Amino acid sequence: MSAAAAKSADVTPPLAPSALFRFAQEFAESKIALAGLVVLSIVVLIAIFAPFISPTNPNDLLQLTILDNRLPPGTTGSRGVHYLLGTDGQGRDMLSAIFYGLRTSLTVSISSGLIAVAIGTMIGLIAAYFGGRVETLVMRVVDIQLSFPTILIALLLLAFLGQGVGKIIVALIIVQWAYYARTVRAAALVEMQKEYIEAAQGLQLGHLRILLRHLLPNCLPPLIVVATIQSAHAIALEATLSFLGLGLPPTEPSLGLLIANGFVFILSGRYWISFFPGIALLITIVSINLLGDQLRNVLNPRLQK
Amino acid sequence: MRTFRTALLGFAAAVCLGTTAATETLRIGLAVEPSSLDPHFHNIQPNLQIARQVFDFLITRDHRQQLGPGLAVAWKAIDDKTWEFKLREGVKWHDGSPFTADDIIFTVGRVPNVPGSPGGYGSYALGKRVTKVDDLTIRVTTDKPNPLMLNDLATFAIVSRKHGENATTENYNTGPAAIGTGPYKLVEWVRGDRIVFEENKEYWGGRTPWDRVVFRPIASNASRIAALLGGQVDLIDNVPLVDIAQLKRNSNVALSQSPSNRLIYFALDSSRHISPFVKANDGTALWPNPLRDARVRKAISMAINRPAIVERIMDGGAVASGQIVPEGFFGHDPSLKAEKFDASGAKKILTEAGYPYGFRVTIHSPRDRYPNDASITESIAQMLTQIGIKTEVAILPASVYFTRASRLEFSFAFYAFGSDTGEASSPLNGVLSTYNAQTGAGAFNRGRYSNANFDAVMQEALITMEDGKREQLLREATAIAIGDYAAIPLHFQINTWALRKGLRYEARTDENTLPRSVSKAP
Repeated sequence: MSAAAAKSADVTPPLAPSALFRFAQEFAESKIALAGLVVLSIVVLIAIFAPFISPTNPNDLLQLTILDNRLPPGTTGSRGVHYLLGTDGQGRDMLSAIFYGLRTSLTVSISSGLIAVAIGTMIGLIAAYFGGRVETLVMRVVDIQLSFPTILIALLLLAFLGQGVGKIIVALIIVQWAYYARTVRAAALVEMQKEYIEAAQGLQLGHLRILLRHLLPNCLPPLIVVATIQSAHAIALEATLSFLGLGLPPTEPSLGLLIANGFVFILSGRYWISFFPGIALLITIVSINLLGDQLRNVLNPRLQK
Repeated sequence: MRTFRTALLGFAAAVCLGTTAATETLRIGLAVEPSSLDPHFHNIQPNLQIARQVFDFLITRDHRQQLGPGLAVAWKAIDDKTWEFKLREGVKWHDGSPFTADDIIFTVGRVPNVPGSPGGYGSYALGKRVTKVDDLTIRVTTDKPNPLMLNDLATFAIVSRKHGENATTENYNTGPAAIGTGPYKLVEWVRGDRIVFEENKEYWGGRTPWDRVVFRPIASNASRIAALLGGQVDLIDNVPLVDIAQLKRNSNVALSQSPSNRLIYFALDSSRHISPFVKANDGTALWPNPLRDARVRKAISMAINRPAIVERIMDGGAVASGQIVPEGFFGHDPSLKAEKFDASGAKKILTEAGYPYGFRVTIHSPRDRYPNDASITESIAQMLTQIGIKTEVAILPASVYFTRASRLEFSFAFYAFGSDTGEASSPLNGVLSTYNAQTGAGAFNRGRYSNANFDAVMQEALITMEDGKREQLLREATAIAIGDYAAIPLHFQINTWALRKGLRYEARTDENTLPRSVSKAP
């Protein structure tokens, strides 16, 4: 994109910078949000490249030995592996386990987030666009769902669905879509009052075209903000569910499960088993929240200078 | 001003109450809540220890499970098949009505017939006919000689005919039927929160140091310890091994320890031709089920590094085992050692059995029911994967786990068996005899191991009155089952309780937490 901007700059001196550039500029005004973005990028890169940068594969039972369990940080194990952050109760290298755990946590929260956004957006748009009974029905369902605590619904769903990455994703989609549906509907209701929608309807454009080409793009800013902050919630929720032992199988631990596993050792002084995954979780969630806050500031017209 | 005065009055009243009615309350943090207060519903330790508060037994067991007089004060065998018991005089139910022989007759009839019961008690009462000689004398007759008569009668609690007739399990849970002769009366059970008892001041066994006892279920180990250290409870059971060293250093805490009769073992589905959680390497159903092959079971046993589990997971707080009962119990065979760890040997046997590339299996395990249950299962998954059996682990909450286990939904699963009788015949018969709903044999045989040879020796042992010969038969049965790898024994636990300073507990082999045995240190 910057290449395109630079190219146009060659031809004519820019009177106004492109919208994206302006957006990036405004975003960068907050140094702390920028730091959040950098940290988050690093976390995401670690998650993506975990299999290449981890010293061991913590999910491969062949590489584990309980003879190396609960070693403090900086010990070298019986097979010559150096455990920078120590090992857990099953002899997993904590560093590798955190890398893989990040991968699981991010996979679960991002994939469930994307699907929930798609479902929630579609439902929210339809509710706002068609109004009437459709809207009443959809929004009451949303109201009912939002009146229950998220964690309660997720727990019930997982008790019913069972263990596994796929199942936890399904559970997270079901608990999240309503937030998006409500956000998008609110934004769409405002947009529906504007002339361009009236114009599009006057031109007798198809419903689908109006929904997707006209209404949707103008509802995006609040959606992006909610989706960013919600993805931090999703990570925390997945960690909570795993901590409670309802999420993922114990042989492929996510961050929440790693913390839960280490919890029993805290009183006996083996802090590292819970502590380091906890820090990783904290860093991830804080950086997403910083990013989300600044996105809200930039995208919210009321807060614009 | 007025509110202040009211508050002051209230405070004064509270102080007065506090001093005049100084009740001694014992608060206990329990790892596992009972599933029912019906003493005949399900034979598991969490239920039994609560039943022992409200109810008495004909024969009691002390902290080393030695038998002694309970509601029966004297007994003699009239012949091979008939026993006579003298009942204790002057015993009253909690409502004041007298205890008589009729209550025993009612109890023995009720034990095997509790609707919806997952079982475990039936075999101790079935086949016993109780006749009343007078109000305080009974005779028990059996068709076959029963050398374990006293053990059997020490297993189930005696309930009142008056309150028990037509009573459902729910009536016991909510209170109206929970009228016993025991040292404590049930006040209330709020599921998941507390079980409250008050002392039975007319108890035949004498007063206890506690006017009121509150059991609080706190499943999380860390929370249970925190509750003790924070003073919310006075005593906790199931102290996790990892925390023992740290609690020993704490001068506000006293520990009480005893070896346990509880064997941790794995049951393998050795009956079905296709087992739900055994799969071929490509994930399709595997026929025939490799766990039916004793060689495969042997390979699994050899692949398990028991000393490593004892040392690295149990923190030394367990004793590796190659049989069903611990040393010192009747029927223990000193020549049977724990299987030696030999991964390459295991691999070789697996190849001989026709599985050079192994197969896939899922091990099921409860969570927080036994010390380190999930960690043990996970480490076994590691060890089996090393010999080529690709193992997954599914950890379930105890309530879900045992319901599914009883429906035989698992292929390879974690179990434990406490030998409450202090000898080998009850675990051998319960865990390894061919399943028979009528006789109660094999009630806990979740792998459905079945060997006619074993059953024959076992049946003979069950009717042999002479101790030396019976012990010989029990060892023979053990040798057959262990030779077949009918189950994979892992280790015996060590039981630990932690108390606030100034209290003492008489630690028990059977894991029961009995407030009567909690005393104040002098």
